[in-house]
Amino acid sequence: MPQLLLCNTSTTTNTLDHKLGIAPDTVTGVGCTNLGTLNAYRPYLATDKTPTAEDFAVLTQFSSAPVSKELTHLSLCYGADTTLALSEISDTLQKSGIGVMGAGTSIYGNRLASFTDAVKNYQGALLNYREVMKGGGASKVLAKQNVARTFGKMQIGFQHELHSVTGGIKASQKGTPFTNATRAMNIAKSSRTVVKLELNNQVQASQLARFGKSAKLLGNGLVVIDFASRVGNIQNSFDAGENWERELFIESSSFATSTVAGAIAIKAGLSLLMVATPVGWVGLIIGATVLSIGINNTVKNNAGDIYDEIMKGINTL
Amino acid sequence: MNMITILVGILIGLSVITGVLYVFFGQFTVRKLRKKPETKGSLGIEFASGWDILNVAEAFAMPKRATKKWKKSKLSAFFADVELLYKHTNKFDRVLGIVFYWVFTLTGSSAILIFILDTIDVFE
Repeated sequence: MPQLLLCNTSTTTNTLDHKLGIAPDTVTGVGCTNLGTLNAYRPYLATDKTPTAEDFAVLTQFSSAPVSKELTHLSLCYGADTTLALSEISDTLQKSGIGVMGAGTSIYGNRLASFTDAVKNYQGALLNYREVMKGGGASKVLAKQNVARTFGKMQIGFQHELHSVTGGIKASQKGTPFTNATRAMNIAKSSRTVVKLELNNQVQASQLARFGKSAKLLGNGLVVIDFASRVGNIQNSFDAGENWERELFIESSSFATSTVAGAIAIKAGLSLLMVATPVGWVGLIIGATVLSIGINNTVKNNAGDIYDEIMKGINTL
Repeated sequence: MNMITILVGILIGLSVITGVLYVFFGQFTVRKLRKKPETKGSLGIEFASGWDILNVAEAFAMPKRATKKWKKSKLSAFFADVELLYKHTNKFDRVLGIVFYWVFTLTGSSAILIFILDTIDVFE
């Protein structure tokens, strides 16, 4: 698989050769080969062989301007490995969101949103630090403090999430930007303008493209994803010419009951004041989520029959 | 139809009623309270949007002893301030809240009960 090249200032292919050891004639852009200059915030591929149709398909995924711009910033700020790992994690999170339903989720969704907020703030501080270090000026100390502050906030509040994020990163001795603020500042400070992302397979490429799209929107709350996947089920059965009203009944009734049950579980836990400790919270959220998922399944398994009975009843009237 | 299908059918019916009451109570009573500057900040923490509707209904439905205990606890921010709410609502609001809360609780707890019974294969 090819390497994805991103830069934040126009770069000649000669510089590329010099900096990353990539031969000028291996670089491909959208719709052109053998170019002299790479434009800022555009995706390019470096391949050893002649680029195949598959390679061009990969490239097109990144060709939308907001996607490639966001990815360029993220990769320059976090380093290539971390960005790839992040994209994989956010993909897993979104996928698991489809399996996890109900009100338990919306609480976890909120926590997830605040985790992403913490990461976003940290990232914002790093980007700011990068700007300040490049331009100079009196606010260097301030920017550094800001990085340290946002880093601390992220570390204190979200140990568990950070652990799962960094677990997927091939860490060097110095750690990753998520475990070591100094390392993050060094990466951000370094005057790198080009970054090379090693794509191992097609899946990783599309994960990365989707991550670029959602990096800003990440953490919209999993309920939205949950709901969207349900609508997707209905759409599928409509497209397949099946009984989509039946599907609609199944999805909406199971959504309603599992949400009510999840909410009641949380309400009950709260009113017994069992959440005075963090352990109580975790137990409560897990409990409510398990209940929600279980009830969702129970209702789903039976809602189809109920729909059939109701329709039979209406037809005999 | 087997037992579980009938029970789930009733459950779905109950959750539809809960949904209607939830929206009605939310639009009729809680929207009023959200707009009043005196009560705006005392509806309890909103985990997910609309959670304050549950907080207000709970404040009306629960016995005084319980609400007093919550108010004194460390977690008081999670609950609506019942005494303040009494001053700003009429009898209809309160009855509506109580009805909604118990229908909601009934739906939720029977869903949990049915799920547990289903899990231990009572309906096989």
